Amino acid sequence: MMLQATAAIATAKPVASDRQRLRLRLRRQAVQAAIVLAVAALVIGFGFAVRRGLAKQGIDFNFGYLLAPANINLSEGVTVVFDGARPWLDGFSSSDTNAQAILAGLFNTLKVALIAVVLATVLGTILGVGKLSTNFLLRKLSFGVIEFVRNTPLLIQLVFWYFAVMLKLPPIAQASEWYAGVIASRGGVYLPTLVPAAGATPAAAVALGAATVLAVLALIPVLDRRLRAAALAGAVAATAAAAILGFPLAVEEPVRTRFGASGGISMTPEMAALLLALIVNGAAYLAEIVRGAIEALPRGQWEAAAALGLSRAETIRQIILPQVFRIVLPSFGNQYISLTKSTSLGIAIGYPDLFNVYGTISNQTGRNLEGILIVMLIYLLLSWVISALVNFANARLVAAGAGR
Amino acid sequence: MTAWPLRWARRNLFATPLDGALSLLVIPTGLWLIYALAVWACRDAQWSVLGDSMRVMMVGVYPADALWRAWTAAVILAALAGATVGLVVKDDPFALLGGAALGILVCASLLAGRDLADAGWAAVACLAAAAGWLAMAKLPATRRALPLAWLLGFALAGGIFAGPGFDAWGGLLLSIILTIAVSALTLPLGILLALGRQSRIASLRICCTAYIEVFRAVPLILVVYWVWIVVPLLLPDLSVSGVVRGVVGYTVFFCAYVAEYVRSGLQAVPRGQVEAARSLGMGTWTLNTQVVLPQAIKVVIPALVGNMLDIFNAATLVFIIGLTDFLRAGQMILADPRFGNLTYEVYAFLFLVYFAIGSLITFTARSLEGSLATGR
Repeated sequence: MMLQATAAIATAKPVASDRQRLRLRLRRQAVQAAIVLAVAALVIGFGFAVRRGLAKQGIDFNFGYLLAPANINLSEGVTVVFDGARPWLDGFSSSDTNAQAILAGLFNTLKVALIAVVLATVLGTILGVGKLSTNFLLRKLSFGVIEFVRNTPLLIQLVFWYFAVMLKLPPIAQASEWYAGVIASRGGVYLPTLVPAAGATPAAAVALGAATVLAVLALIPVLDRRLRAAALAGAVAATAAAAILGFPLAVEEPVRTRFGASGGISMTPEMAALLLALIVNGAAYLAEIVRGAIEALPRGQWEAAAALGLSRAETIRQIILPQVFRIVLPSFGNQYISLTKSTSLGIAIGYPDLFNVYGTISNQTGRNLEGILIVMLIYLLLSWVISALVNFANARLVAAGAGR
Repeated sequence: MTAWPLRWARRNLFATPLDGALSLLVIPTGLWLIYALAVWACRDAQWSVLGDSMRVMMVGVYPADALWRAWTAAVILAALAGATVGLVVKDDPFALLGGAALGILVCASLLAGRDLADAGWAAVACLAAAAGWLAMAKLPATRRALPLAWLLGFALAGGIFAGPGFDAWGGLLLSIILTIAVSALTLPLGILLALGRQSRIASLRICCTAYIEVFRAVPLILVVYWVWIVVPLLLPDLSVSGVVRGVVGYTVFFCAYVAEYVRSGLQAVPRGQVEAARSLGMGTWTLNTQVVLPQAIKVVIPALVGNMLDIFNAATLVFIIGLTDFLRAGQMILADPRFGNLTYEVYAFLFLVYFAIGSLITFTARSLEGSLATGR
């Protein structure tokens, strides 16, 4: 933008007659019109050429297939179903329509992306701080992991996690059950989960719900500090009340059955492999961003903290990381978008993400181009939503930082 | 006075209680891991699978009687790669030792394949790389010829390799040629897009911005697949090979990224440069080609080399359009019932090669960053 402005100033002649100015403006508008026409012609010509190509193969171009039954099976996925007129979420079944199949794929993509973003941020921060640790081994270990992950393709990491780790685990019958009821087998990964307790009273449930809301409020960093403290106190009180009324939640551990395990959260091996690959890969990139941001902070911050008698751990937790998160947020946003796009590699291991479901439907119906338009639009929307969210958070953080 | 190993350990391993605890945790685990890995690598692993399947991994299902073509292409590319490294590494002993070790490793692994001709070719390729490096590092006069050498050499290598048709391409050589071709094609397109995004003409600016933003928001795999479908529809009378369609798809996608790198370079050119050029009476074309772009490109060369690594890593995605790249070839070998249970051996090799090439590119990018920064 700056270049343009200077260029415009530089070309404006000091003394130009009205006539010359008019001619210049006309010429510029003619160029504008020519470019618009050229692009329009290109797009329309492209459309016609594709149409002709399709016609040659006897295929028309319409979206009617979306409402036809999909007749495909997905190993997992929740979609919007209509029970009468009311929309409801339910597992995808093969009699559902193609549109519902795409929704199920989108749900799977979002599920993996969301979990991976959260865990990759945690692991990435740890790795980034670890790379600057005072411990030689930790420093070198973080460095090695980051370099190895960044210098090898994500796809080989993914297929390694799937074929060489997940599928090499013992079958469920011989799977070792780790402490806290974690079962890892080639049939899937099972984790303990929270379920409503048998004798839960509504009052206790309401108290716990209030505690959750208050705790979330207390965790939002941009709110007023006093408000957060009050919310925290409220959350503790509400939790205590829930405990006195009979705690409404219980831990349910997965129990092994003949062909799998019941109870707890189950994850297919495909999802587990995709998650592992995306978390480790994303973390390596996020770690580099964190490290760069920490090194970019003025040394005076460290020295001032040391002069105040803060330990290194305290300095990192209370002085460095809060400032770092303010700097890195836009870069993190780019990584989150890239991570979400990378879920499309699920097709390599048979995870039914958006792209994989699209591929299956295209194979069934032959409607490649219609589907690709839809899927492209969905990915565009996803990217825009993520960058809008990050921009929003960034604006709030910067505003909060400026106010201090 | 304590001896320095002790002092070093106290400072670097046991500075704080937390550090000490971590060290006590990491050291035994690490030692055990190294031991287990060594036992596996030296005793249990059946490395013979690599010798048996090396050809498939390197060139896919390339016809055996045309193998000299693949090797000639590899020799040319090795010379060019060596020359490029010579541009940034003059006499770093560690880097040279690493290069020599890599060369010996390559020849030895091919010797293990019990094929003397292949080992001989590999030796020639290593010598070519060394010669290229020598020419660049020791004869600064040859440096200006490098871009031209790349252009001619790459065209020659591609032409020779394409003898039996593009459809025969595969393996590591496909991944490498795809990466180079896409890197070369995206540069001019990316520059045009970046200039378009900065243009004074609003419609051009909007079109270029839209292109860049859309292709940066969708996954590569989708774009490659889309191009692969659309090209035959656009050219129904021509049968365009999968490799060419792949190159087009990657180019369509990655030129949006190159455009963003170039734009960051354009923004780094001081405003005074443009003003000075304008006051000398330069037109837009002369201004951009003579003043702005040379400075902008110089700034972004390290980022563009880094982008090459992204392209190389992303080249694994060609499986979606049915091509057999390095990773896919490895998976094909594992699908063979004879080698089915040798998963770890094959993956170890794939990882090693990917990591070696990736590290080489990263190292070049970092060295360039250093050597170019001093010029400013």
